[in-house]
Amino acid sequence: MSVKYKVNRLATTNDIRPMVDRHWANLRAAKERGEKVAWASGPTFLFPYAMGMKSHFMAGYAAYCGGIGAADEVLKVAEATGDLPETCSYHRLHMGMAEAVRKGIPVNPAAILPMPDIMISGRFCPEMAHYAEGLYRRMGVPVIAVELPSAYEKEDVPRVKKFVYRQFKEVVIPAFEKVCGKPFDYDRLSEIFSVLKKAATLRNECWEFFKTKPSTWTLWDYGVSIAPVFYMMGDPESIVYYEKLLKELQDRKEKGIPAIAPEGEKYRLYWDGWIPWAFLGKFMRKFTPNGAVCICGRYPWEFFPHPERLDPERPLETFVDSFWGEESPRCFSNKAPKGCVELIGEFIEEYSIDGMIMFSSKSCRIWNLSQPDMMDALYKRYGVPGVVIEADMVDPAMISDSQIDTRLEALIETIDGGRRGRA
Amino acid sequence: MEEVLRKIAEVTSDPYTYVAELKARKNKKIIGCFPMHIPEEIVHAADLIPVVIWRGNESVTWGHAHVPAYDCGITRTFVDDAVKGKLSFMDGMVFNVRQCLQVGEFPLIMDRNVKPAYQKILYLPPIYQGEAVRSFLLEDLESFKTSLEDFTGKKISDDSLKRSIEIYNENRSLLERVYEIRREKPEILKAREVMQTVWSSMLMLKEDHNELLKELIKGMEKKTVETKGDRSKVILVGCLCQTLQFDILDIIEDLGMIVPDDDLYVGSRYFANKAQLNGNPMDALADRYQAKTPLCPAKGVWDVDWAEEVIKQMKDNDAKGVISVRVKYCPPHTCYYPDFKSKMMAEDVPEVMIEMEHEIVSLEGTKTRLQSFAETLSGV
Repeated sequence: MSVKYKVNRLATTNDIRPMVDRHWANLRAAKERGEKVAWASGPTFLFPYAMGMKSHFMAGYAAYCGGIGAADEVLKVAEATGDLPETCSYHRLHMGMAEAVRKGIPVNPAAILPMPDIMISGRFCPEMAHYAEGLYRRMGVPVIAVELPSAYEKEDVPRVKKFVYRQFKEVVIPAFEKVCGKPFDYDRLSEIFSVLKKAATLRNECWEFFKTKPSTWTLWDYGVSIAPVFYMMGDPESIVYYEKLLKELQDRKEKGIPAIAPEGEKYRLYWDGWIPWAFLGKFMRKFTPNGAVCICGRYPWEFFPHPERLDPERPLETFVDSFWGEESPRCFSNKAPKGCVELIGEFIEEYSIDGMIMFSSKSCRIWNLSQPDMMDALYKRYGVPGVVIEADMVDPAMISDSQIDTRLEALIETIDGGRRGRA
Repeated sequence: MEEVLRKIAEVTSDPYTYVAELKARKNKKIIGCFPMHIPEEIVHAADLIPVVIWRGNESVTWGHAHVPAYDCGITRTFVDDAVKGKLSFMDGMVFNVRQCLQVGEFPLIMDRNVKPAYQKILYLPPIYQGEAVRSFLLEDLESFKTSLEDFTGKKISDDSLKRSIEIYNENRSLLERVYEIRREKPEILKAREVMQTVWSSMLMLKEDHNELLKELIKGMEKKTVETKGDRSKVILVGCLCQTLQFDILDIIEDLGMIVPDDDLYVGSRYFANKAQLNGNPMDALADRYQAKTPLCPAKGVWDVDWAEEVIKQMKDNDAKGVISVRVKYCPPHTCYYPDFKSKMMAEDVPEVMIEMEHEIVSLEGTKTRLQSFAETLSGV
């Protein structure tokens, strides 16, 4: 390999760790002050937030745990206390953490959260409900359960949307009013969406820099920047973060600083599925020497990709529309295989993608569904090759260096072969 | 009775040939219903033949180009069978994508590689509180009915749906009677014969199966069986969606245990609860779907404890222990199992879990586990 590639690290992303540390510390502090705290799966943390209640977020906690290097020890507690290794690793992380608290098993204190006074189980996938069911059985935590399906056919979108809206309105909101002893605070929900709209608009401006060649940042940079447009939504700091990030990306463009030195990426990759939170460094160390940069992916694009359509004056409706609405049916295009083919096709064209990595999580299938068929359909339509990499978001027992190496090598050879053929 | 059992064994030993011949014999279209909760009665009322999709009979080969090795046996073998053309006799397929994530693999794979003339996706919701869940469930069932009407070009009347429900309810009553007799005379049928009997119900036209069951019941009622008193009774639990390898059932019995009852999908769960016809037939089907027991870990039931239900069942059958059969890569069962196990331990109920994979490399490990369990039960 003649060119020696090296990552040009962004300075702004260094701000994330203290921000998320503070977020989780605030949850602990609230409990210590005697306040009620919630746990939530799916995007349902919005409801406790609107009521001024601190809340955990299932995938956010798992990402945090993986990111700070605590996943392995928490997963070991789960297995030692009965969970089976093939179970969803996010599920196991929560069981392990709860068992560590219940039985006083020492683990990294940063991975410990206060046990909830109420759980809201948003069943995006069945496992998101299974973990809540398990905690209910083990610890008796009261649960508000809502079903959050993704429509597999476009014609099913309206009735799925209506169903989700009704559950929020008829089940979730009254339950929180009861728990908090006050009417639901729609005004606070509006404020949260106003802040989110600003932050996500800035984030979209940042996304534009993925279209430049070479790219000025990587998907991993955006991966670690998701919290401000998701579980930290409503926090004014999220706007500050994205303003700073945007400025840094603009500076980079002006000064000609690419995401990887010396001359930017040789291969622009699409990344399908979960972000491998505990292994970001590992993957970067494999991509970078090859001149490969991950540019976009459907999971990281799930979080309010159309801020222009957010209407803070209609907070509940706008929330439902963002995920289940007819105009922007994220659940159809992001999670239902048929819709995904269309969405990934748009990414390929918009971001000039050379190859696809289909990250197949061994313990969570929500983003894996029909990946080989999607890959085949996209290859036939766009001539863009892909490979599947089987691993996990946080479980080190499910990741293999040699598999990543050989599949990445195969992808690069295929891209090169295609380029030679076209030359 | 032997003749009936021979027929049942024939149906289940080669379901592919049986269903293909059934289609030709009855001159009706076949709709494959992916287990566990598709209301087959609606398909039956559309004058089509519903059959419950089964775990295949060979190792997965082509299927692994479409689904990973860490999907469960029935997911992988169904895809394998479908892409190889082994299920070409199926005119349509129905999937409930909210049961577990793996069902979500199918729609695109079938669209691209199999192209069934009819494909329907259901979103049957878990049994959560609130009117919205009930309305959505009814809408889903209604949309299923409409899609079948569009497919056949014929309306499904309430009367025809009621007739189908009655036929299905009769089948449930007859299977219940088979289980009752087995409870009274535990060794009258081998465990594999009981599983084959339920499985054949999933494959045959229900009217035909009802006739077969009536014959079987007649024979079972007449037959006297000498029960060996030293055998330990055990309840089998789990094994969602799919059949258990019959060899495992034989091992259980060869080791001196007997199975007076079960809590398996291809077992008592399939025929539990009748659809109560007190008015609108769609309501009856929705009520049946929303029944909280037997507890299904895929249906989000909070206020019933699976382990407590099984302990009750064990006591009713004077059984000494429980054998959990966990299908490898079955998330609903896998997520629930640690709590099930804890309760069994807390209640001092002897319980062992055996893991079932589609591809059996060796049964020796399973046999050893079961042998030591049998010895524990008999106090050796």
